[in-house]
Amino acid sequence: MAEFLDLETQDAVRMPWNVLPGTKQESSNCVVPIASIYTPLKPFPSLPLLPYSPLRCRTCRSVLNPFSIVDFASKIWICPFCLQRNHFPPHYHSISDDNLPAELFPQYTTIEYESPSEKSNVPPVFLFVIDTCMIEEEIGFLKSALSQAVGLLPENSLVGLITFGTYVNVHELGFAQIPKVYVFKGSKEVTKDQVLEQMNFFAKRPKPATGVIAGVRDGLSQESISRFLLPASECEFAINSILEELQKDPWPVPADQRATRCTGTALSLAAHLLGACVPGSGARIMAFTGGPTTEGQGAIVSKNLSEPVRSHKDLDKDSAPYYHKAVKFYEALAKQLVHQGHVLDLFACALDQVGVAELKVAVERTGGLVVLAESFGHSVFKDSLKHIFQSGDHDLGLSSNGIFEVNCSKDIRVQGIIGPCASLEKKGPLCSETVIGHGNTTAWKMCGLDKATSLCLVFEIVKKEIPEAIGQSANSQFYFQFLTYYQHISGQMRLRVTTLSRRWVAGTGSIQDLIAGFDQEAAAVVMARLVSFKMETEAEFDPIRWLDKSLIHLCSRFGDYQKDSPSSFSLSPRFSIFPQFMFHLRRSQFVQVFNNSPDETAYFRMILNRENVSNSVVMIQPSLISYSFHSSPEPALLDVAAIAADRILLLDSYFTIVVFHGSTIVQWRRAGYHNLPEHAVFAQLLQAPQDDAKIIIKERFPVPRLVICDQHGSQARFLLAKLNPSATYNSDIPAPEREILFTDDVSFEVFLDHLQRLAVQ
Amino acid sequence: FDSKALPRPLDGDVEPKSFAEMYPMNCSSRYLRLTTSAIPNSQSLVSRWHLPLGAVVCPLAEAPDGEEVPIVNFAPTGIVRCRRCRTYVNPYVTFTDGGRKWRCNICALLNDVSGDYFAHLDASGRRVDLNERPELSKGSVEFIAPAEYMVRPPMPPRYFFLIDVSISAVRSGMLEVVAQTIKSCLDKLPGCPRTQIGFITFDSTIHFYNMKSSLTQPQMMVVSDLDDIFVPLPDDLLVNLSESRTVVDAFLDSLSSMFQDNVNVESAFGPALKAAFMVMGQLGGKLLIFQNTLPSLGVGRLRLRGDDLRVYGTDKEHVLRIPEDPFYKQMAADCTKCQIAVDVYAFSDKYTDIASLGTLAKYTGGQVYYYPSFHSAIHKEKLRHELARDLTRETAWEAVMRIRCGKGVRFTSYHGNFMLRSTDLLALPAVDCDKAYAMQLNLEETLLTTQTVYFQVALLYTSSSGERRIRVHTAAAPVVADLGEMYRQADTGSIVSLFCRLAIEKTLSYKLEEARNSVQQRIVKALREYRNLYAVQHRLVGRMIYPETLKFLPLYGLALCKSIALRGGYADAQLDERCAAGHAMMTLPVKRLLKLLYPNLVRIDEYLVKASSMADEFNISRLPLMADSLDSRGLYVYDDGFRFVIWFGKMLSPDIAMNLLREDFATDFSKNQVTLCENDSEMSRKMMAVIKKFREIDPYIYQLCHLVRQGEQPREGYFLLGNLVEDQTGGMSG
Ligand SMILES: [Zn+2]
Ligand SMILES: [Zn+2]
Repeated sequence: MAEFLDLETQDAVRMPWNVLPGTKQESSNCVVPIASIYTPLKPFPSLPLLPYSPLRCRTCRSVLNPFSIVDFASKIWICPFCLQRNHFPPHYHSISDDNLPAELFPQYTTIEYESPSEKSNVPPVFLFVIDTCMIEEEIGFLKSALSQAVGLLPENSLVGLITFGTYVNVHELGFAQIPKVYVFKGSKEVTKDQVLEQMNFFAKRPKPATGVIAGVRDGLSQESISRFLLPASECEFAINSILEELQKDPWPVPADQRATRCTGTALSLAAHLLGACVPGSGARIMAFTGGPTTEGQGAIVSKNLSEPVRSHKDLDKDSAPYYHKAVKFYEALAKQLVHQGHVLDLFACALDQVGVAELKVAVERTGGLVVLAESFGHSVFKDSLKHIFQSGDHDLGLSSNGIFEVNCSKDIRVQGIIGPCASLEKKGPLCSETVIGHGNTTAWKMCGLDKATSLCLVFEIVKKEIPEAIGQSANSQFYFQFLTYYQHISGQMRLRVTTLSRRWVAGTGSIQDLIAGFDQEAAAVVMARLVSFKMETEAEFDPIRWLDKSLIHLCSRFGDYQKDSPSSFSLSPRFSIFPQFMFHLRRSQFVQVFNNSPDETAYFRMILNRENVSNSVVMIQPSLISYSFHSSPEPALLDVAAIAADRILLLDSYFTIVVFHGSTIVQWRRAGYHNLPEHAVFAQLLQAPQDDAKIIIKERFPVPRLVICDQHGSQARFLLAKLNPSATYNSDIPAPEREILFTDDVSFEVFLDHLQRLAVQ
Repeated sequence: FDSKALPRPLDGDVEPKSFAEMYPMNCSSRYLRLTTSAIPNSQSLVSRWHLPLGAVVCPLAEAPDGEEVPIVNFAPTGIVRCRRCRTYVNPYVTFTDGGRKWRCNICALLNDVSGDYFAHLDASGRRVDLNERPELSKGSVEFIAPAEYMVRPPMPPRYFFLIDVSISAVRSGMLEVVAQTIKSCLDKLPGCPRTQIGFITFDSTIHFYNMKSSLTQPQMMVVSDLDDIFVPLPDDLLVNLSESRTVVDAFLDSLSSMFQDNVNVESAFGPALKAAFMVMGQLGGKLLIFQNTLPSLGVGRLRLRGDDLRVYGTDKEHVLRIPEDPFYKQMAADCTKCQIAVDVYAFSDKYTDIASLGTLAKYTGGQVYYYPSFHSAIHKEKLRHELARDLTRETAWEAVMRIRCGKGVRFTSYHGNFMLRSTDLLALPAVDCDKAYAMQLNLEETLLTTQTVYFQVALLYTSSSGERRIRVHTAAAPVVADLGEMYRQADTGSIVSLFCRLAIEKTLSYKLEEARNSVQQRIVKALREYRNLYAVQHRLVGRMIYPETLKFLPLYGLALCKSIALRGGYADAQLDERCAAGHAMMTLPVKRLLKLLYPNLVRIDEYLVKASSMADEFNISRLPLMADSLDSRGLYVYDDGFRFVIWFGKMLSPDIAMNLLREDFATDFSKNQVTLCENDSEMSRKMMAVIKKFREIDPYIYQLCHLVRQGEQPREGYFLLGNLVEDQTGGMSG
């Protein structure tokens, strides 16, 4: 494990297979695909930042890296990807064995370039899009959260404001005399040209007869743009006074109806506005919505309250009449935003569903942030919003305008990426014919990306079986290069380059090498992303069957056993906890979707698809820490057996953190012992898990929900749902002192029995 | 005939006296004037009369102190009306059966007197309570209407402003003056604290204003989709003035600065009008439109027309004087249905199609105010005064008017600004004292058998204070069998008013010339008829003779034909000016119309040089309207009730000119750059005092002073000489 973490510390990469199967056949036997989970902007304390442009291979455009073979005498380097010999340019002529440029240092396989000439002169843009169809209380919560956020915006950033309900109001913040809005019908589609026309963009400068209107460079005057997008320092007062007087949508709503809410039209207008004013520079639409879209494009349900919002069951039966139309609309919106280089962030706070499932495509493809909470007053929302704008250790490091590119050795193909990005449709010989996620390209747009954004790249080995002799003589390394161009928060354009080398093996005896290179955490996360992706895209897909089959195949191939003897079965330590991950994945919110709404499922998957391995593992298999007088805090098995009357448990399931007090602890606490000086130790015991929870909460985005509960209390379900039901009411011998789970789920022991039986067949 | 020989109406309108003396219980002539107070008893008499037979009604005419219309509240009895013809009880009904029955003076039905209304009769058959019952003794009375006279609770006074903010509206200063004036009138709008107010501004887009009382300042909401106009807020666009006063003040304070840099040259007037209609729709009220730029975008867009010389004198000529787009008439009809009265203020320095815009006022009981080439430096005071009067004069809301008359006679046509609902009900979303309506009368039967014909005007309206009221004017007129008596009882003012309206209406379907001819021919026929009656008897062959009552008719008829609305052809008046004049003349009460047709011309230099005389001592001695009246050593004021022209004779003592105008005197008068304002001289103070006195006579309008020097062409011709109706050249180019 540790070595994989070391690799991650150096290159921000985790791969299920760190020794690669060398041929197509062998790789398909490996069940878990060749993949990597890469965090392009993972911060490194000692990352070199080179103040010049990189050298590139003449033919394949890959960047000079420590794996290049350098001939110092003739000032030539050989590209490890295509073997092209490249001359160093004149300013490299002083290099030698002991005078290496940083990009050739062996330890700098990940490095950044910042060319001083490439700087965006448009500051970051934040366009707030705010729903007003909410009860006054929720509006109040949202107002105070927003006015706090506005105070935290970078001084130079540009800010815009759109509010919506039945109609869309685009606020002209630059109009000094009185608050002014442009109003658009929620039910009507408007084109970008119409928006420009109707918002008087051509009042003082006539519309160009031809060409696309695109910002100051093409067609618009700065004066007309700065009516809507103003520096934060100039419009803070204006925004705050608008927020102060912000009212609930004034149109009456009959008792048997939902509010008329045109989220889709509002977002479309936001996209048009940014597309016209600041195309190609980093801008975020931050949408805050408190209920389902019922009007215009992107509606997810009718206004009639008797018609419920679609459930997973409806989606399964294809009886959600609005769903496909809405998704199609948001796909088009995503395409537009990607083209413009703009991000859509979604903050959905409502008891009902708002349409996250439909909006997902636009948020995910633009690399937007998403937060789902029950209320704008909930800390999940409030603290997450604050987190976005806070600076310091835990800042998100929001960056924009990213382009991600891949190079790899010619025996490898790229199937695609599962993660927050969009294809740039750059086809080439590296593209596999089998597509997973965003495929058929070697370049992707990442309109928004941050320190945590993690992509899952799926590869395919295409090398055919080769004679032993040739195999031996060939280079036994595969190379990967990940190039990430992005606009740093400073406005500078940067390029991060990560070049990887992995050994490949083939033929008999290679299996031990493969086992040694197996990163079961990374593998579990790749499987989780894959199964989610398949559930969303493949009709009639049975995730349990697929996961079980994969696990059985994997165990058959890499387990140690005598045929047909389940008791003889054992797994290498490299694989030992993988079945447990799969057991929990089968029970997780990613696979058992019927326990949640489509919005929640979409939300969980969006977070899974952008997080790194260790956070994703927690989502699949929550961590459990037990606190007691007997020992210092220790990890506990995620099993109902971990519950004890004199213990406190801290469960981290990523989205929720539960502090669970055993019944004795509860009695003591109720008796107020922790307030007595002679029981200071108890006070400490009570405090410790909460302190640890706070540490987790502080680092995490979105901020998790904190549940503090007691054994036998109603909130305890947040813990119980995640535990292995080793003792259920079905168990033959229920131990009377134990907690019993009322569930029909199989326990891990039963699961493992079945697995061993099937693996050895 | 020789016009110079005609008697001149130098004393202005002369109301017929005998009529009032004959029927002392009749309503005052300021409310109702018949063209003749002798109603012909036969159809053949009517056909020999040749002049219009009808009446001019000004139901809300201002009454001098002490002559206010008494208010009568019949609650809980209910208003006493004839069971059959719905006539309101009036001084001419008669009580019988010891007071238990009353006979309707219009249809003769015997009605029961309800217990609550019963009173004994005295020996002479008069009710004993007659003195406490104004409805039985006065020709004009106002009843408080109970709930059955309402289809909804009485509406509050409601003022909605639709204001052009395009570049010309801003640059001309119109916007600033309008904003300031409205603000200065807020305390004086009738109906406080129920009064409501709202605003829309427009250029190529439409701007609504949220005036919610809880806001600290208004919020501007722009709607630009002209093909699909919608109202962006369900409430708060039309608000209670006292509740939202601070927001309204804030709005008016910032209105002109909000648009000071506006460079928009377009006008989405039609869509903006629709927007205003959507806001006011179910509510009603007064819609005041301030229009500076020819409507250029969206529905109701208009085009330049009227400079096509060739259509004049053809069958197509009249088309220029009617709206081109049916949108305007349709909108007017919709407004009337919803109790919206439209006043149009037009300011353009170019063609602005008053013919189309005016339609809005015409069918909604509104009014057209026209300020060609408005510039605040010149027109500020005028606009201020007139807008303030429009906003603050007593106004009757959501009104309907009907005029009833006795058996055998019937009103056949109505003329003025209103929409006719059913055959005889005039829908008047708003009415005020400055509006008069004319109507024509006909005999239903060949022979009238009654001795007297009664007329009753009933105006059902909501007062600004929120009461539903019925104002009733009743008058009686004798039936005669003698044509001469008809002429002797004729009322020139009323006749001219009707002629004027008929002629202007005629210009909407015929050539100007035909409209003029029909007036002239009818006058000639009437005079010939009169002469045939008396010439032999008086042995006055070869001379014109006229009845005393009609002695000014020929001159007024001539003046009418030379009025801006009817005069000449293409070159004699700008099309917009002609249409605006037509719209104004269609609503004028009799006195104001007569003054417009035969204005005051007064010499003033002698008074100015006379030592220490006061304005009060200035006697208005009117001069005939002919060039011969002008002495080149004199200074004259010409006053038609709409504007003053001050004529400086060539030989006028330079001392006077210097005193009045100081150094400006040396400069050119053209382009209206020189204005008359008080300066530090006795003469100037006296002059201004006279001007002020003249203005007080006609408070409806603020007369601008146009200064003209003798011989300065074409100004002198345009402002004065062309209006000297007695001259050959006056008002006619061909
Ligand atoms: Zn290469
Ligand atoms: Zn009757």
